[in-house]
Amino acid sequence: MRTDGSAAAHAPNGPAQPLIVAQGVSRVYATVSGETVHALDRVDLRIADGEFVCLVGPSGCGKSTFLRLVAGLDPCDGGRLTLGGRPVLGPSSEVGVVFQTANLLPWFTVLANVSLPLRVGAGRGRAVDNGRIHELLTIAGIAEFANKYPYELSGGMQQRAAIVRALARDPKVLLMDEPFGALDALTRERLNVELLRIWQASRKTILLITHSIAESVFLADRVLVMSARPGRILREIPIHLPRPRTLDETPAHPDYVRLMTEIRGLLYGEAL
Amino acid sequence: MSVKAEGPASTAKSRETLCAARLRRVAVNGGVFVLLLVCWIVAVRGFGLKSYILPLPGDVLKALWAGLAVPITDKTGFYLPLWVTLSNSALGFLLGSALGLLLGSLMAEFRPVETAIMPYAFALQSLPKVAIAPLIVIWFGFGNSSKIVIAATLTFFPMLVNSFTGLRATEPDRIDLMRTLSGTRLETYLLVKLPSAAPYIFAGLDMGAVYALLGTIVAEFLGAQAGMGVTITQLQAVSDVAGVFACLIVLGTTGILLHLGMRAIERRVVHWTERTRN
Repeated sequence: MRTDGSAAAHAPNGPAQPLIVAQGVSRVYATVSGETVHALDRVDLRIADGEFVCLVGPSGCGKSTFLRLVAGLDPCDGGRLTLGGRPVLGPSSEVGVVFQTANLLPWFTVLANVSLPLRVGAGRGRAVDNGRIHELLTIAGIAEFANKYPYELSGGMQQRAAIVRALARDPKVLLMDEPFGALDALTRERLNVELLRIWQASRKTILLITHSIAESVFLADRVLVMSARPGRILREIPIHLPRPRTLDETPAHPDYVRLMTEIRGLLYGEAL
Repeated sequence: MSVKAEGPASTAKSRETLCAARLRRVAVNGGVFVLLLVCWIVAVRGFGLKSYILPLPGDVLKALWAGLAVPITDKTGFYLPLWVTLSNSALGFLLGSALGLLLGSLMAEFRPVETAIMPYAFALQSLPKVAIAPLIVIWFGFGNSSKIVIAATLTFFPMLVNSFTGLRATEPDRIDLMRTLSGTRLETYLLVKLPSAAPYIFAGLDMGAVYALLGTIVAEFLGAQAGMGVTITQLQAVSDVAGVFACLIVLGTTGILLHLGMRAIERRVVHWTERTRN
């Protein structure tokens, strides 16, 4: 089990083969008025297998754009982006995506929503492993809501279901775009702890985008700070806070505030 | 004790005010109805209107009773013509809404189909479609088929426009979700777009049901063997205005029941919309 953050697999240039590699990745798009906008400018990063990486940056810096590229939803306009050594050409079963809103389909029950990945696309035809889905629901603490409709659940419960859905195909990578941004502060903290628990139990690689500096320091092995548009990686900050992290102990760690201050300094320096 | 007693007492009180509000509404509605009846009677008596211009409410009631208090198979009753009209509009409704949904879906899914059909769809949409009824009677004759075709034509357009609009209004995040799962086009359509568009589609069906009835009756005016449209023209020919009024009441009630039925089905099928709104 992971007990601290300094395991070899977590080091950016450790012996483990990096799972996600971006080299000079750029993304340009045209606005309605015909201007071209450089959303991403030569982004370089490597994410190791099993690593938890948070991406923070000012609003509109291209964080979500980068996530969409990794998810295979949009193509790169330059550079090289590989997943497990293969270039990303489109959506892959190796990637689960958690959106900003829970994005559950309101006409399906929670169970039907979370097992959707096993019924469509590449998952079709495979026998739906109800035991596994139920196990995931139990880990996420929503097993008792399996037969309820999304509108009968609180925002936090809905987002848990969204995480279970992203894990349903047992992907290697979980991409999360400000998954807890719409939740209240208390629910958000609780779900942060839950997410770490799920991560430690499932050993996924997670790339999570957030606005919250505290959230990034609490969760990540490594925080990548992005610049304002065009987005570039300004700096990567390893977070060597001991694991398992808890709401009681981690914020009290002497390094916690120092890391937050360092990231905040980078972001504010960027904004001024 | 006093705290416990307060809860039920206050809910009883709110129930009481709710009851009172409902009673008041019933009283107002009933009052307006009675007032209208009084105005009607005063107008007939005061201006000395002949019964072939405007009959008294009592005469209308008598005509209604005469049409309804007969065996279902009676040739002079309302049941037979109503059955003919309803069955033709139902067939036209099914045909028109199925075709409208099909073409609306093809337009929403395939850009070339949209480009090819959109101008015609909008041009025909702004045409008052009952105006083409005589043409359809020429092509399909005076039998049931012309009624069904006109009902279908009138149902088709709201269904086409509504299903197209609804399918295109699908939230992009939901489509992205299906893309991340590499769902096929058909899967995305059936599992995501169609349910997303369901409220629009039901609004189209609701409109279509009323239009189908309208279309059938217009077609029957132009010539038919049986139907409520025929009964109305026959009663008009003998200046039985009370009978015409009775027919209108029957048709009005049918329209309201169709609408309520459609709403009930919608609430069943699209159960999530109202709950999420609350």
